Amino acid sequence: MQNVLFQLIVSGTAMGFVYALVAVEYTLIWNACGLLNFSHEKIIMLGGYMFVGTCITMFGMSNLLSALLAILLLGVFGILIAVVIFIPLRNQSRLIAVVATVMLGQILNEAAVLVWGPVALMPKNFLSGVFQIMGATIAKSYVYIIMISIFIIIALQFVFKRTKFGKAMTCVSIHKTAASLMGINVKASMVITLMISFMICAVIGIITAPIFTVKQQMATMIALKGFCAGVIGGFGSLPAAIAGGLILGIVENLAGLVLPAVFKDAVAFTLMILFMMFSPKGLIGVKQEMDRKRQLRTGEV
Amino acid sequence: MKDKRSILKYFPLLMLGMIGILPLFMTSNYYQTICCQAMLYAVVALGLNFIVGLSGLMTLGTAAIYGLGAYTSALCCTKLGMNPWAALVPVLFMGWLIGKGLGYPSLRVQGVYLSLATIGFNEIVRSFLTNLEWTGSGTGIRNIEPYRIGDFAFDTQIRSYYLIYAVLLLFIGIAWKIVNSRWGRAFVAVKDNPEALQICGIDIANVKITAFTLSSVFAVVAGAMYAHFNRYITPATYTTDLSISFVVMLIIGGLGNFWGCIYGAYIVAFLPQLLRPIGLSYKLIYALIMMCLVVFFPNGLIRDMKKYLTFKRALKGGAASENNSQDR
Repeated sequence: MQNVLFQLIVSGTAMGFVYALVAVEYTLIWNACGLLNFSHEKIIMLGGYMFVGTCITMFGMSNLLSALLAILLLGVFGILIAVVIFIPLRNQSRLIAVVATVMLGQILNEAAVLVWGPVALMPKNFLSGVFQIMGATIAKSYVYIIMISIFIIIALQFVFKRTKFGKAMTCVSIHKTAASLMGINVKASMVITLMISFMICAVIGIITAPIFTVKQQMATMIALKGFCAGVIGGFGSLPAAIAGGLILGIVENLAGLVLPAVFKDAVAFTLMILFMMFSPKGLIGVKQEMDRKRQLRTGEV
Repeated sequence: MKDKRSILKYFPLLMLGMIGILPLFMTSNYYQTICCQAMLYAVVALGLNFIVGLSGLMTLGTAAIYGLGAYTSALCCTKLGMNPWAALVPVLFMGWLIGKGLGYPSLRVQGVYLSLATIGFNEIVRSFLTNLEWTGSGTGIRNIEPYRIGDFAFDTQIRSYYLIYAVLLLFIGIAWKIVNSRWGRAFVAVKDNPEALQICGIDIANVKITAFTLSSVFAVVAGAMYAHFNRYITPATYTTDLSISFVVMLIIGGLGNFWGCIYGAYIVAFLPQLLRPIGLSYKLIYALIMMCLVVFFPNGLIRDMKKYLTFKRALKGGAASENNSQDR
């Protein structure tokens, strides 16, 4: 029982980090453009296909090299999408941008069938094998997912806190007009954000390829649950998104112990709707509320 | 100019008349089926217009409501042995219930959050319909009996067509009445200026919940009609993609444009069928066309087309343009 619990917690943490990365990836776009990227599941899928289908199978490159090339290609694709969809639609009604990105997702989906075929692809000798820790058997891919995600999150924190263009991007997310008055190029900042976001999508597609295999629906659930993670943590904040992702991943995996497996997915959505109804700002809202109450009690202002 | 206006005034009537005589030209069963679907979509779009078009709330869970309508009616008929007409009573009750249930969260949850919550609702409903034993799980429900009056059953394509046409006309009438009443004006005011609405002494919560209730009643009735017309339903129909299609209909017609809902529904229903001869890549082309329509005509096909035309005319120069317009 203990071993099972340990395994569930490790795999839950790994999935939690994947949800957190998804939440980070679209929170970046939300902060920069004020729009949500509803095609992100297909972008993740595209990352997986670029990695396995194009780089490994067609070009015959090594695993590491093709992962890097796939991330680079997705970055270029991000710049393209920023110029074609996100910048022209940023001042329109949000509904229109939502529908435009959904349609982009459908285009990518259909294109993937035509280019790479309907059969699921699988990378060979990539993050495979198992570890034996304390009597529990843990797939290596889960451990790698946790390590890579932590690395990406630390790197992002470094970019946003220490570099000049990262600080500029933070300014844009806080106040667009003020940022442009301070001489920050808002459009360029959007393009770079889109690029980074798409590159993170590629990473997600690559690290989840051994778990879900590369197919059209590989990212449907993690993309939706990434949204849930963002809502649970609190929209627009990176640390909150990470906390939300971890909570969701672990709770969902442990719920598998008591509930039938088919309702595992419903747990995430129910949790999200509960949070939306009782604390629409997510965990951040809960924390703010607690701070306010403590201030009232201690008499501070 | 005067002539043009009067022609435009009769455009909706012309459109409805054309829908009425369409089966005389389209004799193939296949196209008549698509027409029936387009009309049902139009009913759903008319209802969705209250929330998305007029009140400006972004909901993406309409397919689930449409599906719940279909399942309620189908289950009442197959399991309880009810008459399809009598089953409309629980269907309407279902619509009222969903409207209230979705309306309350919409007061707390706004903007993109609402789209996310409604997508979540859609996924939950679909996952329950697919997994529960008594809804027929993945295979759905078959052998649903058609509507009948006495011995006259609406079981062929052409009979169903005119039944659904009558329902469409009825709902257009109801929607037209509501849009032009004080409720319709309150819906628009929710989008334009909620503060002013409150100052006028109108309860925003009430207005939003009414919008949701109306829209889900329209959707469940259309869903029930679909169940008895198609006589076979599966949960695979009611995906988030269908919800998105409903919103696309509204955008192509122009958000808040009453008659736009109807031609938007026809475009969304027919375009994939017209593109089918292309072969494997037809879905790709369809999505591409839809994306271009949404990106380049965000205010609706006809409204933006007019804008582009007047823009071109203005480019030609003032005096020349006046002569041109008189010639036409």
